[in-house]
Amino acid sequence: MLRIENLHANAGDEPILRGVNLVVRPGEVHALMGPNGSGKSTLANVIAGRPGYDVTAGSVSLDGVDLLALPPEERAQQGVFMAFQYPIEIPGVSNMEFLKAALDSRNAAQGRPELSAVQFLKLARAAAERLGLGPEFGKRGVNEGFSGGEKKRNEILQMLLLEPRLALLDETDSGLDIDSLGTVAAGVNAFAGEDNAIVLVTHYARLLEHIVPDHVHVLVAGRIARSGDKSFALEIEAKGYGWLTAPA
Amino acid sequence: MNASTAQAFRDSALRHATRYAPWLDRRPSRDALADATLPEPRCEAWRHTNPNRWYGAERPARRQRLDARGPPNIRVIPFEEADAEDRHRIGQHLNATLDRARYPLANVNDLLLDQGVLIRVPRAAAPAELLLGDLGGGYERALVLVEPGAECVLTERPAAPRQRVVELVVGAGATLRHIRLQPSSDAVEHHLVSAQVGAGATYRVAQHGCGSPLRRCDLHIAASGAGAEIAVRTAYRLGERQHLDTHIAVDHAAPNVVSRQVARGAVGAAARAVFDGRIHIAPKAQGADATLTAKHLLLAPDAAAYAKPELEIYANDVQCAHGATVGDLDANALFYCRSRGMDEAAARQLLVMAFLAEALGDAAPEAAQALLGMQR
Ligand SMILES: Nc1ncnc2c1ncn2[C@@H]1O[C@H](COP(=O)(O)OP(=O)(O)OP(=O)(O)O)[C@@H](O)[C@H]1O
Ligand SMILES: [Mg+2]
Repeated sequence: MLRIENLHANAGDEPILRGVNLVVRPGEVHALMGPNGSGKSTLANVIAGRPGYDVTAGSVSLDGVDLLALPPEERAQQGVFMAFQYPIEIPGVSNMEFLKAALDSRNAAQGRPELSAVQFLKLARAAAERLGLGPEFGKRGVNEGFSGGEKKRNEILQMLLLEPRLALLDETDSGLDIDSLGTVAAGVNAFAGEDNAIVLVTHYARLLEHIVPDHVHVLVAGRIARSGDKSFALEIEAKGYGWLTAPA
Repeated sequence: MNASTAQAFRDSALRHATRYAPWLDRRPSRDALADATLPEPRCEAWRHTNPNRWYGAERPARRQRLDARGPPNIRVIPFEEADAEDRHRIGQHLNATLDRARYPLANVNDLLLDQGVLIRVPRAAAPAELLLGDLGGGYERALVLVEPGAECVLTERPAAPRQRVVELVVGAGATLRHIRLQPSSDAVEHHLVSAQVGAGATYRVAQHGCGSPLRRCDLHIAASGAGAEIAVRTAYRLGERQHLDTHIAVDHAAPNVVSRQVARGAVGAAARAVFDGRIHIAPKAQGADATLTAKHLLLAPDAAAYAKPELEIYANDVQCAHGATVGDLDANALFYCRSRGMDEAAARQLLVMAFLAEALGDAAPEAAQALLGMQR
């Protein structure tokens, strides 16, 4: 369903992605690893449509739809969801207001009926509770003053409510304590199904004990240097990245 | 040398004084105006707003309307209906709070007046709710006397006057909550609110809304009694080509006065916001606690905002903080919203609402939210 072919992208004049190829099928979980600065977040951002990147070659499609031709909101409406490595704070917009606006947009775009305030609150509260976000959460500004772990849980909460077709989780495990990691992983596992797919960006094989990947890829200098199954993650954890170089 | 537009306007005002409420003693205003220099283009107080556009604008037709209401125990008295006692009261208080030197344009108001009202708010069991709408459209005047210990909510919704001057006397221990709602208009307008706040009294003013081709709002608040509390909030959203110039001056003229000023402006395409917030702390005004923040958001490349805080501090026991920023919508926040499926217009609307909400406070009237396009 996600098909990336020979993707090249620049940030400013700097080439960051240098020919990424990746196919993700429904029901799959892919882990994307790689050294700092290798382009993992750039890849997720380019798929989600973040301004500031120029795609210079290649293509990205989801279910046959050319994502690169769409503005970010239409990609989201097609089912793309990116959990941000650094979630954004929006003081003055409450979490509930933000979630409702997001959900209303999705429902409108997909021709589904708008949720009533009561239905929405029920849904949002249940999801918040499941992720251990307390009752004050809904009233607070979006990610405003949230701890690192709370921000990551909020990303997963949004994912659960928006039910994307493709979830790109950019280091959602970073900065989580053991218990939070378990909570977040349980949320992701509950979401994972035959109709959707997940790409996990991570530095730690530990996450992959909770969320078991079908494929593990290593990105080096803007290209996938090598792919393997879940045992590959353990090999990387033992050996580091030094022995992997970008393919010519 | 040819007379400037300002001089020509002044001379014309001196020649064409109205016959409205002929018993009004207009001599002090006439004398002050004869001696005054009206604002010239690019003078300090009108640096970013050309006063010639106001002098030259047409005087709107007088509307035979007086939209001023209060509860039964409070009389709203048009000047032309004032009895001897009320005339005496008007004579005593009119212009008494005005700083004629700082606001020379106010001198033309009683010369050219076409509608004035006197409102007295006595102390009562419940707060009085007053409404001041359209007062005739030309040179309008309201004199509101909030007597010691009285409580009042005054809502103003001016209908595009050429000039409206509102004088407020807030007696000792009284509370006045003043809401000014300013919808968009096609008129060139000047507003002056001049408030004198007594000992232990509270004056909270919220001025919210939009702009017009040229709208200048002067708010002068003199805390003349010890322990007075002043709060000024203003939120505005300027549509295409609108121009809003807000000058606020809070004078701490007595000890232990607390004052707050919060301004938020969202400025649209080719629109211009001017904000000048002044805090003056007199030598005897010890124990002053004053803050001012003004933030502007430019919503288009050709939007402009000129924000200037001014502090004049002559006392030494003072707590004072101020800040002013002008910026664009946060690109990361915008992308965050869009990545969750909101289209660009919806995302911008959400972020602008959040920005303006900071100046609205908890008790913002729904009408203010509606004016700002903030219905949720
Ligand atoms: N918007 C941008 N402008 C300029 N340079 C950028 C931009 N985005 C990414 N880069 C650069 O691209 C390179 C890859 O960054 P990216 O964030 O994709 O790495 P990453 O693999 O996610 O690293 P990490 O593991 O540290 O999160 C870095 O050198 C980074 O500085
Ligand atoms: Mg990254």
